[in-house]
Amino acid sequence: MGSSSSRLDRVPGAKDLMEETGFSETNILCLYDRFEVLDREERGYLRLEDFEAIQQLAVNPIGDRIIGAFVFPGRETLDFPSFVRVLAHFRPTDTTWSRSGSQPEPANSRTRKLRFAFSLYDQDGDGKISRAELTEMLQAMLGMQVTDEQLQSIVGRAIQEADLDRDGAISFDEFKKMAASGQTGLKSVSSIMYRTKQQQQQQQYICGEGGTEQVHLKHSCQTLMFIFC
Amino acid sequence: MFYQVDVKSDAEVQVVESGLCWLTGVWYVTLACPCFFPVLSSSRFHLIPRLSNIVPESCLLITVGLLVGGLIRLAGEKVPPVLNSHLFFLCLLPPIILDAGYFLPIRPFMENLGTILMFAVVGTVWNSFFIGGLLYAVCQITPAPSSLHQLELLPCLLFGSIISAEIHINELLHILVFGESLLNDAVTVVLYHLFEEYSGVGTVTVLDGVLGVISFLVVSLGGVLVGAIYGILAAFTSRFTSHIRVIEPLFVFVYSYMAYLSAEMFHLSGIMALIACGAVMRPYVEANISHKSHTTIKYFLKMWSSVSETLIFIFLGVATVDGDHSWNWTFVTVTVILCLVARVIGVVGLTYVINKFRIVKLTTKDQFIIAYGGLRGAIAFSLGFLLDRDVFPKRDLFLTAIITVIFFTVFVQGMTIKPLVELLAVKKKQEAKRSINEEIHTQFLDHLLTGIEDICGHYGHHHWKDKLNRFNKKYIKKCLIAGERSKEPQLIAFYHKMEMKQAIELVESGGGVKLPSAMPSTVSMQNIQPKKPPPAKPVERALPQLPKGREEEIRKILRSNLQRTRQRLRSYNRHTLVADPYEDGFGDLLIKKQKMIELEKKIKEMNNYLTVPAAPPDSPTMCRARLASDPQSYSVKPSSGDVPTIQVDLASPQSPDSVNLLDELKRADQQKQDEDQGLMMRPPSREGRANKQGEVESSKEQQKLMRCLSDPGPSADEEEEDEPFLP
Repeated sequence: MGSSSSRLDRVPGAKDLMEETGFSETNILCLYDRFEVLDREERGYLRLEDFEAIQQLAVNPIGDRIIGAFVFPGRETLDFPSFVRVLAHFRPTDTTWSRSGSQPEPANSRTRKLRFAFSLYDQDGDGKISRAELTEMLQAMLGMQVTDEQLQSIVGRAIQEADLDRDGAISFDEFKKMAASGQTGLKSVSSIMYRTKQQQQQQQYICGEGGTEQVHLKHSCQTLMFIFC
Repeated sequence: MFYQVDVKSDAEVQVVESGLCWLTGVWYVTLACPCFFPVLSSSRFHLIPRLSNIVPESCLLITVGLLVGGLIRLAGEKVPPVLNSHLFFLCLLPPIILDAGYFLPIRPFMENLGTILMFAVVGTVWNSFFIGGLLYAVCQITPAPSSLHQLELLPCLLFGSIISAEIHINELLHILVFGESLLNDAVTVVLYHLFEEYSGVGTVTVLDGVLGVISFLVVSLGGVLVGAIYGILAAFTSRFTSHIRVIEPLFVFVYSYMAYLSAEMFHLSGIMALIACGAVMRPYVEANISHKSHTTIKYFLKMWSSVSETLIFIFLGVATVDGDHSWNWTFVTVTVILCLVARVIGVVGLTYVINKFRIVKLTTKDQFIIAYGGLRGAIAFSLGFLLDRDVFPKRDLFLTAIITVIFFTVFVQGMTIKPLVELLAVKKKQEAKRSINEEIHTQFLDHLLTGIEDICGHYGHHHWKDKLNRFNKKYIKKCLIAGERSKEPQLIAFYHKMEMKQAIELVESGGGVKLPSAMPSTVSMQNIQPKKPPPAKPVERALPQLPKGREEEIRKILRSNLQRTRQRLRSYNRHTLVADPYEDGFGDLLIKKQKMIELEKKIKEMNNYLTVPAAPPDSPTMCRARLASDPQSYSVKPSSGDVPTIQVDLASPQSPDSVNLLDELKRADQQKQDEDQGLMMRPPSREGRANKQGEVESSKEQQKLMRCLSDPGPSADEEEEDEPFLP
C-alpha cells in the first residue's frame, strides 16, 4: 500500500473526493492520469479547447452539449475535483445506499443520473424541456437528413406523448416517468465506469510503472473485469 | 445429417410398393391435421375455456399423436415411417428457426449476448456431462439388470447431450430463455456429432478433446459467417426488386434456406447460419421491400413454424406408441431426475458467475423461470431417433428415456408453469409499444455514453457500437438499401412505421367512414395532382364559405369523374399485383380524415377569412390522367355506398357546427389511442402551429402509406406530392 498512497498524494484532495463520490483509489488515480493526458499544457485545469481537442467528440452529435455539462457556463476552467464529480454520475448505482437523509444524495443515484441527462436537454436551465430545445436536440442528432416538417411532427408527437400536464413542455418528473416506463436501459449509463477503469488500468500496466504497483493494479483489474451488460 | 443411414428405409420401400393401404391414408390424413387442428383446438378452447388455461397446446398435440398412433397400432399395421432425418432436418426444423431468427429483437439480444452464450454453451455442456457421467455411474452401480452395465461412458455422454437439447418453443417472456434456446440447439447438435464421432472411433484422447473444442468453435462461427454472407446477398438482391414486388418474399425464404443447406453441406451449424442470415438481412430487406411483402413474409413464417411444431409433436405421439421400447425403470427415472437436477444446478451456478459481471442482476425468480422453463423437445427426440442401432445397442433404451423426459417436461412442467409464474408474480415483459420518446432517448443515451467514453479515453462497448453504426450508415446502407431510403435516419424510419401503424389502425377501427366528406374529397383530389398548385389554395379551399353554384359544379364534376373511373377497364396481368380496393379505400379515407382535421383547425384559426375557392375545372382531368397512368395504384373507387357525396357541412367559426365537427371526430377517434386523439383533437389555441405541422406531416405520411400500399417503386413523383401540403 505504501507506493500507491504516495501516488495518491499527487492527486489533490483525493481522500475527500473518494468519500464524496464513492470512487475507489485506483479509480481516482486512473481519472487523474486521464486528466493529465487531456491537460496537455499542464496547467492543472482543463479548458474548453482541451475538450474540443478530443477528436471523437467532434463527430458526436451532442458533443458540445456534453462539454457544456462539464464546463459550466460562466466558468472558464475545469479543475480535477469538478471533473471527477461530473464523472461520478456514471458510476453504477449503489443498491445499498438508502435514503438516510443526513447525507446528500450521491452522484450516482438514479435521480441524479436522470437529472444529468435532463440538463443536457434543457440548455437554458429553466427546468423544462421546451419544444425548441427538443427540436434542437433532434436536429443535432439527425443532422441534415431530415426535413423541417418531419422534425416538427416528431417533436410534436414526442412532447405530446410525454407531456402529462399538458403544458407543452417536459418537466423533470415527466422525464423521469418516461425513462422509467421505457426500456431505455438507464442501466447502461452506469456500465461505463467499470470498463473505463479496467481499460485505464491496463494501459498503465502496459506502460509499466514499477513492480509492486503492477501487482496492485493487476489485482484491481481482476476484480473489475470485462462486463456483460 | 445427410449421411445418416435411414434405418427404416426398407420398410418404407415395402409400404410404398404395396400401394396405398387405407391406414397409410389415415396416416396422411393425420399429416394434414396441422392444417385444421389449430382451428379445432381454438374452437375447442372456446368451447372449454378452462382447458386452454390448463393444458398447453403441445400436450394436446402429443395426445392427438398418441391417439393416431394407437389407432394404427391396434390395426396391427406398421406406421409408414415419416419421421426420418431428412424430413425433420430439412423440412420441419428450418421454418421454426427462421421464424425465431428473423424476428429476433437484435438490441436486447446483443446487450445480453454474453449471458445468453454462457447459458447456452456452458449450460449445455455442463448438462450433458453431468447427466451422462452420472448415468454411467448409476448404471455401474445398479446390481439389477446386467444389461445396464454394458453402457459405456460415451453413449451416456451422447445421451446427455441429446437430453440437454431444448426446444425453442418457449413460452417464457424473457429474452434470455429465448436466446438461450436458440443457441442451445446449435450447441447440442455440435456436441451430438462430436460424441458420435468419438463413439465410432472407440477411444478418446486429450487431443481429441481439444480438437473437439476447436471444431465446436469452427462449426458455430463458420455457421454464423455463412449465414451472414447469405444475409447480405439477400439484402443486396432486395435492393433491385422494386419492379417485381410479387416475388420479394421468395427471396427471403430462398436465401435463408440456401444458407441453411450450405452450412449443412460443410458440416457447419445450419441453425446458427439460419439465425445469422435472418438477423442480418432483416433491417435492410425491410427498408427495401413493400409493405405487402413484409406482411407476407411475416405471416408465412409464422404459419410454417406453427405447422412444423404441430407436426413434430404429432410425430412424437405416434412414435411413442409405435416405437420399439425397452423400458428400464432405473434408467428412465434416473434420467428424469437428473435432468431436473442438472438444470437447476446449472442455472444457479451460472447465474452466480454471471451476476458478477452484470449490472442488472438476475434475481432468484428469474433463475427459477429459466430453470423450470427449459423444455426438452423435438430436437432431442429426433437426434435420438437418428442413432444408429449398430453402434448404439441401447438405442431403444435411450429413445424410451428421451420420450419419457419429453413427456414429463411438456406435460408436467408445461402445465404447471403458468400458475407458478402467476404465483411468483413474475413481471411480465411489457408488450409496450416503443414510443417515439423511447427511441429518441435511447439514441440520446448512446451518444451521451459514447461521448463520455471518449472523454475518459476508453474504447468501450459504446465506442465500438458507435463506430459500427457509422460504418453501417456510410457504406453498408448505401449498398444494400435502394433509393432515397438509404439516407433515412433510423429515427425517421421508426417514426414512419409508427405513423403508418396508427393510420392503419385508425381506418380499421372504422373511424374514417363516419366522416362527412364535403371539402375533403375535393382537396384530396387536388393534392394528388403532380403540378404544384399555389400553396395558398388548399388552405383557402378548406374554408367554409362556398357559393351554391360552385358547390353544384364541384359535385357534378366529382360524381362524373368517379363514375368514369369505375368503368375504366384494366388489363389483367398475372404478374402484377392487383391493388386491393379495400386498401386503396384506406388511403383515401385517411386523406379525407386528415383534411377534415385540417379543415377544423383552419376554421378555428382563420375566423375571418373569406375567400371564394376556385376549383380549377381541369383538376379532375389531371387527376384521372394521373390515375390512368398508374394502373396498379388506383383501382375501382369504393362502392357507391361509400362514395362521398358532397354535403357542404359548413361550420362557421362561431356556430355550434364546429362543435359538431369536433364531436364527429371525437366519435370517430374514440377507439384510437389517446395520443392520437390528443394530436388531432386538441384545440389549436394550445398547440396551434404544432398541430398543423403535425397533420401536415401525417398527411404526408399517408401519401407514403399510399405509396407502400399500392406498390409502385420509389419515384420522383413523391417529392412533388409533398408540395401541396406546405402551408
